[in-house]
Formats: sequence, C-alpha cells, structure tokens
Amino acid sequence: MKTRYANPYVVGALLGLVLLFSFYTMGRGLGSSSSFARIATAGVNLVAPEHAAANTYYSKYLKGGRSPLMAWLVFLTLGAGLGGLFSAFISNRVKGEVIRGPNIGVSARLWLALFGGILSGFAARLARGCTSGQALTGASELAFGSWVFMFCIFAGAYATAYFLRKEWL
Amino acid sequence: MGPLYKFGWFDFAYSLQLAGLIGVFFGFLLERAGFGNARKLVAVFYLRDFAVLKVMFTAIVVCMLGLLFFSVFGWIDLSKVYLLPTYIWPQIVGGFVLGMGFVIGGYCPTTSVVSTVSGKLDGLIFVVGMILGSIIFAELFPLIETFYSSGSMGAVRLSDVLKVNSGIIALLASLMAVGAYWLVEKVENKLGDPETLPVGSKKVKLWAAALFVALGLVLAVINPDRIVAKRASAHVEPKPKTEAVQKAPPKPAEPASSGAVIIEDEGC
Repeated sequence: MKTRYANPYVVGALLGLVLLFSFYTMGRGLGSSSSFARIATAGVNLVAPEHAAANTYYSKYLKGGRSPLMAWLVFLTLGAGLGGLFSAFISNRVKGEVIRGPNIGVSARLWLALFGGILSGFAARLARGCTSGQALTGASELAFGSWVFMFCIFAGAYATAYFLRKEWL
Repeated sequence: MGPLYKFGWFDFAYSLQLAGLIGVFFGFLLERAGFGNARKLVAVFYLRDFAVLKVMFTAIVVCMLGLLFFSVFGWIDLSKVYLLPTYIWPQIVGGFVLGMGFVIGGYCPTTSVVSTVSGKLDGLIFVVGMILGSIIFAELFPLIETFYSSGSMGAVRLSDVLKVNSGIIALLASLMAVGAYWLVEKVENKLGDPETLPVGSKKVKLWAAALFVALGLVLAVINPDRIVAKRASAHVEPKPKTEAVQKAPPKPAEPASSGAVIIEDEGC
C-alpha cells in the first residue's frame, strides 16, 4: 500500500509557526547540523583531548568550559528525534528497513548513504549551516547568503540527480 | 517584547528545555510530511513530488511574514534576532555540495535524524557519515580556513543588497512562492504518482495564495523598515545592533555590537 503523507502546505505553515515561536522566544531559528559537529568534537575530545584543543575548529565547540554537547541545537536535535519517533509511531511507520529504489542493492545504497552523509557533514560546516539552520532559518529572516545557499542546494541536487537515477527510480 | 531570551525572561538551562520542546514539534512535522523517507525526499529532484519545496517555501514565507508583522507591531526586536552572516563563496560551494549529498545520501541533516528514529538503517548510516564529514572538515580546517572566511559581507539581508525595503522583498518572496507552487503542481500532475500526491481543495489553495500575496502587499505598502526606524529614533537610547559583524558592508553607520551575547555558531 502506498502512503499518502500530510499535506505539505499545512505542514509548511505549521513549521513556519514553530520557527516563528523559536525566533520570538530565543531570538534564533532551527537547525541541527552543528549537533553532529559537536558529537564529533565530543568524541575526539574524549579520545585525544590535546589534539582537539590544538585544532581551531574543535576548540570553537570546547569554549566556555561546558561539554560541547550542552548546546541549544543538540537539545533541539534530540527533541526532533523524539517528535519524529512519536509521529512515526502513531502512524505505524517505525520499521527496520533500508529505503532504496527498486534497482539498487542494500549494500550499495548504504555506501551511498555514508558518502552522502560525509559530503553533507562537510558542506554544512563549510556553509555554516544546513537546510534548516541556514536555508530555512536564514531565508525567513531574508538573510542574503541564506537565499543564495538555498538555491545552490537545489542547483547541486538537480545537477547530480540524473547520475543517481539508478539509486532512486 | 521578543526575543524573550535576549531580554532575560529565562536562563540557559530553561532555554535547553525549550529547545527540546521546539525540536519535538520540528521532528514531528518533518515526519508527518514523510521526510523520514529518502525516496519521498529525493522525489523533488526527479520532478515527481515537490513536498520538500512546498514545505520549505511555505515555512519560510509564513515565518517571514510573521517576523515582519511582529516587528511592525513592536512585538519583536529584529535587531536582537541572530542573523546569519553572509560568506558568499563558502555558502555557494557548501550549498552545491550539500545538494549533491542530499541526492547521493537521500537526506539532509535534520531529516536523517527523523529517518533514523523511525528505523531506517540508511538514515543512521547518513548520520554516521555526517559525523565523519564534520571530523574531516575540522581536520582539514587549517587548509580551508582562508576559503571558509572568504566573501565576507557581514550580516546582510536581501533588502541591504538589493537596496529596497523589506516590505518589497516580502511581497516578492510571497509572489515567488505562489508562482513556484503553481509551476510545481503542473509538473507534479504530469510526472507524479496521483496515489501519493497530496489532495487539497483548489478553493482553499487559491485563498491561501491570495492571503500570502495580500500580506506581502500590505508590508510593501507600509514599509516595515521605516516604521521600525521611526520607533527606534523615538526612544532616547540608540538601538543596539547585535549582529556579530566583523567587517560591516558599506551601509548606514551602525553602532558597535553590544547587548546580547552571540555565540559564533548560533546559526546551525
């Protein structure tokens, strides 16, 4: 059976209100990608604290004497996990599986997921944000760079899509 | 007046709880839209299902209109809202690579979290990849530091770059969103699967589109920038700008940053 999800316009409008609430209460928008950089930093700091302290980028997250994980966006990401789980649970969508097109094997799909994840993790740090922290948040504030960034995401994806049609279609 | 945190309504510990709550709604909505499923997400890049674009544009326009109207009503001080600084070159390259990562991996950072919790192994692997990508970035940081800070324009808005007021930009953004909806629905109806595409009344859609454009039009007429500037000059103390700008672009002189503490990675 095919799934028909919630109407994207309704979801979008509600998401806009959540974002507005975040701006109103906190003076900042949504985001998540730096949570992963913080997890990475926490890991490196655990294994090799001197190395982490010597690196300009890790030490950015180690400032303030707090754990790099005691950060606003880390808690937001944890919340997003809970909210996503709740939504999937009430619709019976919690299921162990690998999402892939009919023409690709499981291991190939997982390697591509890993590679795409690495690219995204790197790119989000380079651009100082991801689809939510940079594109969604920045664009609603009408930040110039965020609009450029958002159109570049679409450009990069559309330029690549043709070569990956076997993965999805 | 908002943002409440910047005016000392609550402390850091409470802000973390609030982050969890906001996150719950965020994750819930993403999963509702089907964004825990990579095939649903990437369908936008194969012109089959434009849910990603619709959710993004709608959220942006609703929040943009909300922020501008709130600031006109004096409910929020936009100068105290963190504005992401523009570093144009890394943003262009980063956006392009993130888009590639999106098609290759099937997710973007937040949607991969939603995917992981709903049991998708590919989502979890994507998360692992992002952590590795962050480590690679940090390890290579000395090499890319120059590029990372290139093209700095400060915390500029579209209105600063295009030299028109925010109201006009709001109207253009609303028009762009409505135009995009119209276009993508045409494409979708041709290439998409009618069994999975959203159902919706045409009348409601038309009214909603008209509301977007009407609200944008109101902003374009009243010019929110003028109203905010007028209110600021009515107060005795000059309004402190909190944007963490290192190199201010050539625009009207700004008071030095003061007031709220801005942590560098406040954006994402």
